[in-house]
Amino acid sequence: MAAEGYREAGHLPNLRPGGQPAAPEELPRQRNGVTPQMRGRYPDYNVLEEADHWDPVTRRVVFERVESVPPIRFFTAPEALTLGVFCDLVLAQDAEPKIPVLGMVDAKLFAGELDGFRYADLPDDRETWRRVAVGLDVAARQHGAPDFVNASEDVRERVVDAFAKGQLHGEVWDDLAPARAWKVVTRAMLSAFYSHPWAWNEIGFGGPAYPRGYARIGAGQRENWEGAEAFALDPVKDTQQRQVQGT
Amino acid sequence: MSRRHELRTLLRGALRPPENDSAFLLDVHRRAVPRERMARYDDAYPVDLVIVGAGAGGGTLAQRLARRGWKVVVLESGPFWDPDEDWVSDEAGSHRLYWTEERIIGGSDPVELGKNNSGHGVGGSMVHYAGYCPRFHPSDFEVRTRDGVGEDWPISYEDLKPHYERLELELPVAGDYWPWGDPHRYPHTAHPIAGGADVARGGARKLGIEMRVGPVGITNGAFGNRPHCIYRGFCLQGCKVNAKASPLVTHIPDAIEHGAEIRADCMAMDIEVDESSGRVTGVHYMSDGRERFQRAEAVAVAGYSIETPRLLLNSISRRFPHGLANNNDQVGRCVMVQGAPQVAGRFPDEMRMYKAPPPEISSEQFYETDERRGFARGFSIQTVGPLPIEHAQHVLGHGHWGQALREYMRDYNHWYTLGILSELLPLPDNRVTVVPSVTDRNGIPVARMDYSQCENDRKNIAYAKQTLHNIFEAGGAQDVLVTDRYAHLVGGCRMGADPERSVVDADHRAWDVPNLFIADGSVMPTQGSANPALTIMALASRLAERLDRGRAGVSGARERRRRQLRPRPAPTRAGAG
Repeated sequence: MAAEGYREAGHLPNLRPGGQPAAPEELPRQRNGVTPQMRGRYPDYNVLEEADHWDPVTRRVVFERVESVPPIRFFTAPEALTLGVFCDLVLAQDAEPKIPVLGMVDAKLFAGELDGFRYADLPDDRETWRRVAVGLDVAARQHGAPDFVNASEDVRERVVDAFAKGQLHGEVWDDLAPARAWKVVTRAMLSAFYSHPWAWNEIGFGGPAYPRGYARIGAGQRENWEGAEAFALDPVKDTQQRQVQGT
Repeated sequence: MSRRHELRTLLRGALRPPENDSAFLLDVHRRAVPRERMARYDDAYPVDLVIVGAGAGGGTLAQRLARRGWKVVVLESGPFWDPDEDWVSDEAGSHRLYWTEERIIGGSDPVELGKNNSGHGVGGSMVHYAGYCPRFHPSDFEVRTRDGVGEDWPISYEDLKPHYERLELELPVAGDYWPWGDPHRYPHTAHPIAGGADVARGGARKLGIEMRVGPVGITNGAFGNRPHCIYRGFCLQGCKVNAKASPLVTHIPDAIEHGAEIRADCMAMDIEVDESSGRVTGVHYMSDGRERFQRAEAVAVAGYSIETPRLLLNSISRRFPHGLANNNDQVGRCVMVQGAPQVAGRFPDEMRMYKAPPPEISSEQFYETDERRGFARGFSIQTVGPLPIEHAQHVLGHGHWGQALREYMRDYNHWYTLGILSELLPLPDNRVTVVPSVTDRNGIPVARMDYSQCENDRKNIAYAKQTLHNIFEAGGAQDVLVTDRYAHLVGGCRMGADPERSVVDADHRAWDVPNLFIADGSVMPTQGSANPALTIMALASRLAERLDRGRAGVSGARERRRRQLRPRPAPTRAGAG
């Protein structure tokens, strides 16, 4: 696949047996800037190097996200432990560096920054998060584990998979529609993760674009400052040729 | 082709709209609307009209009537935006553009609100709409007669046509010649389109589906002091460029120039009724934590499909114990959304769909009923260009999480996304109500919106999704991801010919309340599969014309002045109240 680069789509989960992507170790590594877990499709692209081209108000908002890691103030310590493991699993943050997703969610909930609606059969988003923490333990115990955090990796994955499919039952889940609760918690998690410039590096997103704008909008085109995709070249040979030390 | 038509074609983009100088009143060096000279009215001074809401309906109505000499105050719950300072070129950072106060959603197919469809602040939801500005089709106004579903409007396409034409010059709208509905041209030429739109258009063509560029309310060329679009792609986060049309830049500047006061950060709480005459006398509102009352000769509510019913239902009086204008139990009913599933396709080339405005091309070929499809009415096809957070929700909505989600997201630049607007039918049990036990920070009961689809709706959405799937396959997509969602609120206080089945008459006037009008998308009896913004503006423009000519039962400002019913003090410069 590496020889073909990413014009082919064989790396996509829908097109692979079992519906799962290649193991993370097989993915290209980031060489410039930071990405979550240092995996990235655009190894030499660091969106933060473009910050001089952003308007000052946007620059402030984005750098605040990178520079301040919000403390946990809304969740209790046990809740934060459970939900932290849960967030890492849903977003596949299995190594450092990690985007502090739970801290970002906590900050929003602590400030009461909600999204303007709640399902009639769910409590307010804040309470939904707390009950999900309880519910993850409930589901893990149904598999014989002491709780979610101390469950085996396999059990944790089965719990999250059942949650994603709306198939959790018993105790707290009898009053908390799992399919809707899943929407509530993932909405906040995705909003945190993909608002972070490290994630933009990973996916090659151009980031803030005012006042510069875009000129090259055709298929296969990019601005001269936008990152090139890995790897029409073999990653190992390319790294050696460029005399990059370590990975 | 008439000479006038030929001349217009020749002058495309060079025409200045008649009777609206907004684009020329903006500042060249900053984006904020100049309001140093804005009139300030005293609360006790009975203005000709108080409008609740400064969005597509309220903003247009204020501009039209201010031009005609009416003394107008607009109460807006949100801020008076300064695009330079208040808006960011960032997805998550745009949270404050949306209506984020509590609302409850129910029914078997609940509609998510907030950033999906609910704005606040001067400019309303058009601040964060994508920019599509299609007209409704003539068929939309008579779906009951033609298709046996929904409801006929008490007005026809011809009633709105002159207002569509005028507004397309004011926004201005850019696009290809439009062959669907009532065929027409646009004042600004079509924008260039990005790679993904080009591929989708090619795929559609192979299936015999025609897609055309536009129509979008985005300048293509300088327009007064509004610059050309820079293809930044953040249309849904508020246009920092001032290239995308919203009332904030298209109508509010001219309204202010002609003496309207736009009073921001003022939350309307209830409308007062004179129990003896049954006329409304003004609006109670909260400003800076203080309750105030603006007196007015007439009131127009333009708070959109949730806040308008909420305000009426929260305005309780002896004459209207179940809410203002609700003696026939119609307020809040038949609220509508469009089915808006999105289908993303994966291509060998990088598409980088974050570039260029999300609205690029569209097709209205499936707009009307085709019995072979097995359901009434139809849908339109558009482009959406989701930014990373939105696309991640799309991937997750298809069922991928964990490593699979991350891998799909790393592939973001190879994807392009089409969206559907399916015409879902008006159903009386789809309704906005208020929940007395849940109140906002001002102590006002919040709104609840219940929504459930009918069989025709489900068939329409399923057929439309398959059509998009086919387009991408024909275009050479290597993988396709589908997710369901809704778009655009309308209805809830519909206009009609029968007081038993509607809230307002053909002049937007509430049955039983001679000086209360509704001037937003909530009056729509049906929604077609067109984005509602331009039609909401056209309805407000028509209402203004009728009010000013005294045809809507409230005497126009000029007429009252001629009769010298009372002295007309000049607006004061000092703060009101």
